[in-house]
Amino acid sequence: MLGTLDGDLRASAAARPEHAAVVVRSERLTYRELDERVEELARRLRALGVTRGDRVAVVMRSSGEAAVAIYAILRAGAAFVPLNPTAKEAKLRHLLAHCGAAAVICDADVAERVRSVGADIDALGHVLVSGAEPWTVGAGADPGAPFGDVLDVDMASIIYTSGSTGMPKGAVFLHRNMHFVSGSIIRYLGLHGDDRILCVLPLSHTYGLYQLIMSVRVGATLVLENGMTFPGQIVNALEQEQITVLPGVPTVWHVLVSLQGLAERELPHLRLLTNAGAALSAARVADVRRTFPHADLLSMYGQTECKRVCYLPADQIEARPDSVGFPIPGTEAWIEDESGEVAGTGETGELVIRGDHVMQGYWRDAEGTAAKLKPGRFPGDRVLRSGDLFRRDEDGYLYFVSRTDDIITSRGEKIAPGEVERVLYAIEGVREAAVVGAPDDRLGEAVIAHVSLAAGVTLDEKVLRSRCAAALEDFMVPTRIVIHSELPKTDNGKLDRLTLMQVREQDAQARVLR
Amino acid sequence: MTNVEAVQSREAAVVRAEMSEFIKENFLYMRPDHVLADDDDLMGLALLDSLGFVELVDEVQNRYGILIQDVDITEEHFGSVNAIAAFVSSRRLS
Repeated sequence: MLGTLDGDLRASAAARPEHAAVVVRSERLTYRELDERVEELARRLRALGVTRGDRVAVVMRSSGEAAVAIYAILRAGAAFVPLNPTAKEAKLRHLLAHCGAAAVICDADVAERVRSVGADIDALGHVLVSGAEPWTVGAGADPGAPFGDVLDVDMASIIYTSGSTGMPKGAVFLHRNMHFVSGSIIRYLGLHGDDRILCVLPLSHTYGLYQLIMSVRVGATLVLENGMTFPGQIVNALEQEQITVLPGVPTVWHVLVSLQGLAERELPHLRLLTNAGAALSAARVADVRRTFPHADLLSMYGQTECKRVCYLPADQIEARPDSVGFPIPGTEAWIEDESGEVAGTGETGELVIRGDHVMQGYWRDAEGTAAKLKPGRFPGDRVLRSGDLFRRDEDGYLYFVSRTDDIITSRGEKIAPGEVERVLYAIEGVREAAVVGAPDDRLGEAVIAHVSLAAGVTLDEKVLRSRCAAALEDFMVPTRIVIHSELPKTDNGKLDRLTLMQVREQDAQARVLR
Repeated sequence: MTNVEAVQSREAAVVRAEMSEFIKENFLYMRPDHVLADDDDLMGLALLDSLGFVELVDEVQNRYGILIQDVDITEEHFGSVNAIAAFVSSRRLS
């Protein structure tokens, strides 16, 4: 149990059994209760035949039950696969089949969707619905085959990310990897058992998920809210739960700084704000600091394949608001030029990352793995190619320059343009489609679709957006769809994305639809 | 029903109609087949997201001239068209 995520829960349950582990509105789960419910569900899973190396998907909104599900899967020796409960059927089907899930644990309101896609998937033996039935096996039930301890080299999770081709890739992590990175982040954030962390980010997402993993490890209290829809509830939670740590993405800060009266509240306990998902503009950093004058703001950068890459210490945010700082403790990162040499100060190149936070590879994708992970300095050593361009200043601080792929980051979610373009092309009458990102204070980046239509076809933006909305998760639906008579091409006839990105900038006056 | 109550109930009907129209116009064009009812759970049915609520709050603030504080933006006050109408009328009285 050394160095495992379940080991962390057992340790916190032993050390402070009556301390609140997870709070959702009026529901409070202590560490003892969390541990007991995890044990019950783990036994149930083992009785169903779930064992070491199996994958079990979790299709749930943030809740105490979701926390129970994640740790129970780990305690049963299996790996959890967090999937977004708002995912549409086609995507759910693809992901459940791709990871070969042996079972799914889901919320009641998605059960029908999960069962209907699950019927097509041979490996999928069981759908467990939260709240529908007690998760206990009952006294004397068969606890499943004998099973030793969960090991730190066991697979803990597969986390799906948007591949640049539009097919999600599943990053595989061992307990060792997740334990290492959570320890590193805990260290630089200074998290401890008396922290109360307010998580408005979905647990199906690594940023939210790691709030749970870190909180359980230090024995802190995690307060869950499902998103930012009613910010009054967030403000109440900040005060009533005496929140000390608030992680957010640009959309979260956009909503919070727009609220009347929040800046006048004392919030004496709130000590730390963290931003990730996409960078904040210098102006937005100033807004956040004005709204929460007594809290430190840390700017961080990461990617799914290693969770977190670097962070900017709070005392640097005014001097270097556009820097993402330096590598997290226990890891290294450097910049390579096109010939693979280490780039000099101020030179732009690809960021390369090394440490135990790096994934094992992509699930069932040897080619994708080989492109992302390359051999390091000695046998068994591997480094992660970030695919992102960076430069470093004379003091060693890192600056994000741009991505080398086309991925768009909106509302803290990664979007592959290809995935949106595929949906646009499937609409009868659409001749060409190109999707690009554009900087946006509310969203991080806005998703802008450029299309041209076949001769004689009349389709307007609203119709196109409603077709996108029917096939895509909400955050992927283009913020704006611009209809052209023809899309610009490069000299060799390819769609000219660079020009399209500039089109958008000149068009900044136009009202960007939600 | 007293005269005051009659006026209030007419006002609430106006707020309901206006808010219903605003939500349809701005948020529901992606779901042309959804018929918005006054007690529809705006969040539960995913008719609006967090940025949508920010726009809705702005609209209520500007159209009805009431100041909306951070803690006012709750499900109780903004969860449905009916909830918004009740909130607006309570703020107009006070």
